[in-house]
Amino acid sequence: MYWENELETLNRTDLEKLQVQRLKNTIGLAINSPYYGSLYQKMGLSADSIKSVADLQKLPFTTKQDLRDNFPYGFLGLPQKEIIRLHSTSGTTGNPTVIFHSRHDIDSWANLMARSLFCAGVRDTDVFQNICGYGLFTGGLGFQYGIERLGCLSIPAGAGNSPRQIKLMQDYGTTVAHAIPSYLNRLFEVFQEEGLDPRKDTKLHTFVIGAEPHTEEQRQRIEEMFGVKAYNSFGLTEMNGPGVAFECTYQNGLHIWEDAYLVEIINPDTLAPVAEGEVGELVMTTLDRQAMPLIRYRTRDLTRILPGRCACGRTHVRLDRITGRSDDMFIVKGCNIFPMQIEGVLMKIPEVGADYLITLDTINGADEMIIEVEVKKDWFNGDITRLDKLSRMITGQIRDEVLVKPIVKLVEPGSLPKSEGKAVRVKELRIALNS
Amino acid sequence: MAYQVSIFLENKIGHLERVTAVLKAAQINIRTMNLNHTANGWGILNLVVSDPKMAHQLLIEKGLSAALREIVVIEMMDQPGGLDDLLKEIVNAGVNFTNAYGRSGYGNENAYFVIDTEDVTDARQKLLHAGLSIMPDELIYGTH
Repeated sequence: MYWENELETLNRTDLEKLQVQRLKNTIGLAINSPYYGSLYQKMGLSADSIKSVADLQKLPFTTKQDLRDNFPYGFLGLPQKEIIRLHSTSGTTGNPTVIFHSRHDIDSWANLMARSLFCAGVRDTDVFQNICGYGLFTGGLGFQYGIERLGCLSIPAGAGNSPRQIKLMQDYGTTVAHAIPSYLNRLFEVFQEEGLDPRKDTKLHTFVIGAEPHTEEQRQRIEEMFGVKAYNSFGLTEMNGPGVAFECTYQNGLHIWEDAYLVEIINPDTLAPVAEGEVGELVMTTLDRQAMPLIRYRTRDLTRILPGRCACGRTHVRLDRITGRSDDMFIVKGCNIFPMQIEGVLMKIPEVGADYLITLDTINGADEMIIEVEVKKDWFNGDITRLDKLSRMITGQIRDEVLVKPIVKLVEPGSLPKSEGKAVRVKELRIALNS
Repeated sequence: MAYQVSIFLENKIGHLERVTAVLKAAQINIRTMNLNHTANGWGILNLVVSDPKMAHQLLIEKGLSAALREIVVIEMMDQPGGLDDLLKEIVNAGVNFTNAYGRSGYGNENAYFVIDTEDVTDARQKLLHAGLSIMPDELIYGTH
């Protein structure tokens, strides 16, 4: 029941042997790049510095800033004629993060993606609709190659245009779809507007959701709305994109493919490894990428490695759901808050719709956290007292969770900004002090 | 049984007009209305219109949060003291309400008083018992 029986169930000793061998190869390639070449030469590091996985600690971290500073070609480990594709982030906050791939890299990625989908129960008999932007964003082509490798009938639907998505689902009997979780709320609204029930009027049985952090409650809502199983997909452009870690049908953590990635969890302040099972920043090293190897890349994603083995029999460790990014934490009135904490509270309240927006603002000289929440249309009955009670209940529950009293504003359904890409959940309007 | 259409609205420029534009397009007449506002940036618009069911359906189709809410509408004299006389009787009948608004009399139409209360059936019974005249729907909505 595995895509690759041997690799996915390899015992830990053999897996580590494979990792050491691949890490040495990776360093050998990295040294060809201008960035790692000069850095490792200065530090006297080479493939021979690695005898065990623990030796990884000798190597310096790589940061997003390093990628930006060496934009675009500073990390290339192969001559440009060997490169066949690039993917990139939008670069709204500086140079875009660009990742280059050789033919081998694309092939290896497609395989990891197929392995991931197989692990979530997708088979070659499925009709797979990829509701994701094609182009520089990795979710389009990354999934496409994996879906084809697995052998599903692929529908490269692209992002947006919900009525068309629904028509495609109905015309071709889509059984599996991939989308970002915040978009699925919008899609469900359109189903309702068209008088359709996805549970009855489609053949969907599985959703793959990812590309933005979401809570368990959000997943359960999606499963209930569409009558499907929803599996969490984790990836990031720097590590190819999707196909890095994926949930199996047990839905208890994301198997991270350790033959392709070395995983560390560090304390983002001290940079030391955290104790086993503790939450920290995910640090990753590519083990099977030639064009642009990345060594000890600080992802900024916060998670932990789940203890124990998964009942599915795979030996690769599991990551917990991403709880946030070390750089998306915000501080209000001295309290550290992650958007996911707030989402966790909101999604447990049945009267609340799926979209929300957190705005941080300075009001009368004080930090305030304003949370705009949509109220479900069918719950509204015109009673002002009931709405007021709901508003106070949300305020109280969020205050109990994050220890800061928010200003809760109920808003009309559909009035919060909808984006085709990742949803914007936090807006910062505070006046920077002493800047 | 009479209904008002209640609409959840954010207190922002143009949001009320979105509602009236829908009614205008469908040639639905507003007989009387009331708009509440809370300190948290939202409020509720209550409308008595010529065709509440149609208005409700059209507003829902436009994606608004709208609800049909049962009301009790009582006839009232359009003269000084008209409301006070009516309220004395409502007090005697022992009926409390959470929201209320009215409509003046025009031509040969009587004025009326709209009340929104938690238990409409109970309120209606008490008011009838006290001898008050509950307006028939066609007079509330108008002949239009």
